[in-house]
Amino acid sequence: MSGVLVVMEQRGGVWNRMSFEALAAGQQLAAKLGMECSGAVIGEDVDAFVTELAGKKLAKVFAVQHALLKDYTSDGYVAALKSLVKQVEPAYVVLPHTYQVRDFAPALATRFRQALISDVIAIHDGPVFVRQLLQGKLNADYKLTGAGPCFVSVQAGTFRAEAVEEGAAAVESFAPQLEASQIRSKPGELFREAAHTVDLGAASVIVSVGRGIGEQENIGIVEELAAALGAELAASRPICDNGWLPMERQVGSSGQTVAPKLYLAIGISGAIQHLVGMKGSKTVIAINKDENAPIFEVADYGVVGDLFEVVPALTKAVLAAKG
Amino acid sequence: MKILVAIKQVPERDAQIGIAADGRWIDESDLNYTINEPDAYALEEALQLKEKNGGEVVVMCAGPERAASTLREALAKGADRAIHIEAEDLGERDTLGVAQVLADAARDEAPDLILTGLQSEDLGLGQTGVVLAELLGIPHATIIMQVEKTDTGLRVKRELEDGWFQHVEMPLPALLTIQSGGNKLRYATLMGIKKAKTKETKTVQAAATASPSITLERVYLPEKQKKTEMLTGTPDEVATKLVEKLKFEVRVI
Amino acid sequence: MRAALQEALSRGWVRMVALVCAATVGARIAGAVLSSEIHFSATLAEPGKFSRLEVALLLIGSAISIALFFRRFGPILRIILRSKKDKDFSLRPIGRRVWDFFWEVLCQGKVIRQRPLPGLAHAFVFWGFLAFALVSLNHLANALELGFLRPGSYIGNFYFIFAAIWALLVAVSIAGLFVRRFLARPIWFGTKVSNESGVIAFLIFLLMVSYLGAFFVGDGGVAVKALWWTHTLTLLVFLPLIPHTKHLHLVLSPLTVFLKRDGFSKIPPLSSDEDFGLIAGKDVTQLISLQVYSCVECGRCTEHCPASNTGKVLNPKEIILGVQSYLNQSGPASDAPLLTEGLVDSRDNPPAKYMSMEAAFECTTCGSCEYQCPVGIQHLPIIIGLRRGATNTGAWEDTHGTKLFLALEKQGNALGLSAMERDKFIEKQAFPIFDGTQEYCLWLGCMGGYDPKGREIVADFARVMRHLGTSFGVLKKEKCTGDPARRLGNDLVFQTMAESGLKAFETAKVQKIVSICPHCVRTISNDWSEYGIAPEIEHHSEFMARHKDRLPQQASGESIVYHDPCYLGRYRDVYEAPREIVAMAGELVEAPRSHERSFCCGAGGGLAFLGEEQGERVSNVRAAELAATGAQVVGTACPFCNTMFRDALSSMGDAPPQLLDIAQLTARALPKMQEAGEQ
Repeated sequence: MSGVLVVMEQRGGVWNRMSFEALAAGQQLAAKLGMECSGAVIGEDVDAFVTELAGKKLAKVFAVQHALLKDYTSDGYVAALKSLVKQVEPAYVVLPHTYQVRDFAPALATRFRQALISDVIAIHDGPVFVRQLLQGKLNADYKLTGAGPCFVSVQAGTFRAEAVEEGAAAVESFAPQLEASQIRSKPGELFREAAHTVDLGAASVIVSVGRGIGEQENIGIVEELAAALGAELAASRPICDNGWLPMERQVGSSGQTVAPKLYLAIGISGAIQHLVGMKGSKTVIAINKDENAPIFEVADYGVVGDLFEVVPALTKAVLAAKG
Repeated sequence: MKILVAIKQVPERDAQIGIAADGRWIDESDLNYTINEPDAYALEEALQLKEKNGGEVVVMCAGPERAASTLREALAKGADRAIHIEAEDLGERDTLGVAQVLADAARDEAPDLILTGLQSEDLGLGQTGVVLAELLGIPHATIIMQVEKTDTGLRVKRELEDGWFQHVEMPLPALLTIQSGGNKLRYATLMGIKKAKTKETKTVQAAATASPSITLERVYLPEKQKKTEMLTGTPDEVATKLVEKLKFEVRVI
Repeated sequence: MRAALQEALSRGWVRMVALVCAATVGARIAGAVLSSEIHFSATLAEPGKFSRLEVALLLIGSAISIALFFRRFGPILRIILRSKKDKDFSLRPIGRRVWDFFWEVLCQGKVIRQRPLPGLAHAFVFWGFLAFALVSLNHLANALELGFLRPGSYIGNFYFIFAAIWALLVAVSIAGLFVRRFLARPIWFGTKVSNESGVIAFLIFLLMVSYLGAFFVGDGGVAVKALWWTHTLTLLVFLPLIPHTKHLHLVLSPLTVFLKRDGFSKIPPLSSDEDFGLIAGKDVTQLISLQVYSCVECGRCTEHCPASNTGKVLNPKEIILGVQSYLNQSGPASDAPLLTEGLVDSRDNPPAKYMSMEAAFECTTCGSCEYQCPVGIQHLPIIIGLRRGATNTGAWEDTHGTKLFLALEKQGNALGLSAMERDKFIEKQAFPIFDGTQEYCLWLGCMGGYDPKGREIVADFARVMRHLGTSFGVLKKEKCTGDPARRLGNDLVFQTMAESGLKAFETAKVQKIVSICPHCVRTISNDWSEYGIAPEIEHHSEFMARHKDRLPQQASGESIVYHDPCYLGRYRDVYEAPREIVAMAGELVEAPRSHERSFCCGAGGGLAFLGEEQGERVSNVRAAELAATGAQVVGTACPFCNTMFRDALSSMGDAPPQLLDIAQLTARALPKMQEAGEQ
């Protein structure tokens, strides 16, 4: 048993970008252990993907292909990967910690009587796998004590996709034995919800505007920033009270409670009624001219300044960064 | 429909967390425990399914004696029965070991559907549900927003990344891990607490399992504590710094 | 449409009034013709001998009248007696009961105080009735030749003239009240004109006139006999009308006032494991039954209700009448739900909007209704009782309410913030932790511990304490007192909070507590007593007023309008202490509605956490009223009022008055040197 196998993820002909972060992790882990690193892609037809992977520094690239792997199912993926892992016998299997991986990887590890080390944020010598506990309050070091193979999934952003080393790899086709009867669930088409009503609760990025905006006409600059970020627009109560934005966009104790990845508070002082509505946000950025505004107490990044200057500059920079 | 809900007892969210003397786990001496919030959503889904389709909701929880209070809470919110799997050594088991004791209890119940939360608030591994399904040999689906009973089984709505969803049809018995926030939780009521007193809680002992394949060696405070970082400079400089953060720290660009 | 309706009604009334006048005039003319001569005499004329037929008629008439009275009064009495017993009821303190009876019933203190002119008119009618009791008894006794007051005797003559003076006052008063009700028509009587009130007024008027008439006719004549019969028939008609109309209060309200629950807004303990509050008729207690049947429909409760005044469904009078009509229809043993959400909407059974969850949960528990009620009705135990029935069973489903309860369950504070936020604040302010050596435990409360503005108030009050050299400490861990859960009817959360708080005080060996929040003060000092004895607690206004000699008098000359918080004023009877503090900071200005009649800020009863209001915001109405006094500063003594006005004032546009708590008004004049936390 040797080597690192990285299981890449694609959906509907598009890479999940986190796959390359996992690939970087796999390459680095392999280097640390002095082992070879291989990659695998699963699907009905993954030729285009393996061709791309063949240009990376990998020992082998496995094209795991079967008609029954067209749409993702946990049963299909677990069965296919089980036979791949049995054949390849890697010491470590590295996966990106995506929704799909969360759905099948624990079951895959169970087939080998192993436990997945999920959502890893760092890999130290040993190897020691670092995970977060209690919503990030603590870190924990995990070690493999069983016979392996060891299954590891890495958190988004832990490794840089750009760090993937280029090289050349041999492509190997792997056709797992699958029966339709093995797949117990029937997946439907993917869909998005029609965006009829504003659902701030589900938004991953929110740009929120407060009294500091001064006039209704000025809201435009915030809307532009929200558009640039692909964010939902929200507001504190005074803005909605004035009818500048509809009530459904109000965040706070009398409005909606939100928990986005990013909450960008513009001209919001941070009255408690507002804070209770957005305290669940993962990252808070506040732009306010009053350095004593309570919003800075809950912000991760703060900018003390004139929003009429900072916001347009930020919009420009975001658009530039997005190319 | 008989629904079994697997719940976990975890330290209260706002608890001041200290590290135990051996550095391998948190100091449990001065902690208050409560239901794992994602499991509260699983319980809520089970109760709503029961209200719609009838049947029975059984809750099970593995843990030391203190876990009984969390089971009582679940009974107060409307569960019909409870199973307490007494185990003092959960910390020494890995996911597989924990799922094993849950599977033993689940097998005896033979439920139509097992629900559990997406992940725990303490360990956050997000695996127990899937492993439990695997051990029981039943299909599963994770991060479920909606559950609908059909003639042949279930139709569930899975959440995928970036605002995508998918409907999945599956036969029963099955296991689902429920996404938090999809339902509104109910508050505990006096009437519920009074009724809970008359409901049955079965206590079973957890069987020993194989030695774990992974171990938690050490817990420690992460180096960077959350603190407000003030960005200064001209508007353009600030904007550049912010974009840097958005790209690499917050990762929304 | 509405105008047409009103016109039709008023035309109906013109006819009615005309009829009444005609009847009166007719009687007068008949009397005059019969006696052929009208003359005034200082002595009351006596009717002379009664024939057997007359006596028989009187006895039959009386029997019918009494029977008709009990035909209605009997069932009401049975409903009251068959209602659930009030387990917590005790006649003690008897002194307070006797005093309330004396002041509110005999002196008509409340009636006069709340509405002076009509109140006085009502008082005259009441006192007149008392004076008249003897006269009426004698009047009927005469027919049976058992009369005990002889007009000829000194005592008799004196008493009849005494009664005549009252009769005159009653006649004038009742005519005045009639004019007010049917011509002036204040809005709180509702849009429906009460015909029965008109009839009753007329009967009372007739009683007086037929009595006074006997001073103008000769003894033993036909005229006096006619007057006697008019008076008697009026009495016999009047009696059965009492239980059929709101005039039932004549019989019940003295009892209601005497028996009402001891304490303002007193929420009784749940009586058993099966008691979850007012769900159905079976939960209605005797006191509640007695109270709802005593309602005189004067509308004082609604007139002062902040919800009713801002376009909400809640109408306290209709809640009382709703319970009353429920009892009439379903009785006190019924399992039918009191609130209409549980009713099947049918033609015979239309859900009444007033008896709805929406209405019950719009109450700010400001207590105006209960405070104003002249007949001893205690609205808050009823409204909160209805909420308990809905919340304790989980029937009340409200996004914000659920969020609040879950926050209290999980985080232990109403704002749902992490307890670590409070720790950070304590650390930043360098507040010592209470360890038993300090004199006071400074209770922060949710607002003081988590709300930025509340924190400023606490920090300033701590400066005042430090300036005075009073030692204090804060609890290491503090949970909400459970006030919002208590008022929203969640007994489970409230009990958990109360027990945890009592334990915290006991463990820390706290003797004295001071708090900036009237809600905390009320809940700890009063509501917690169901679960144990809390240490003595006072509001910071009381503390500062006691030490005012050592606090600086400011010469700012600034005008400060003081807003009485409901939970400090009506709930705790503290009106002067905060005013003394305000007067030291500037020139005290009174709001149009102040002291006992202060208008709520809209935050109480858990409503601060319940999301958007229907209709106008209560806080806006009050803030506008305060700003309209032209004062430069709005002075508050409650962090909830403060936060409500903060939003309301800032939306009022140009240069709203400054908003400061009394602690801030005091601390601003303290020497800056004191700040560095020396003890």
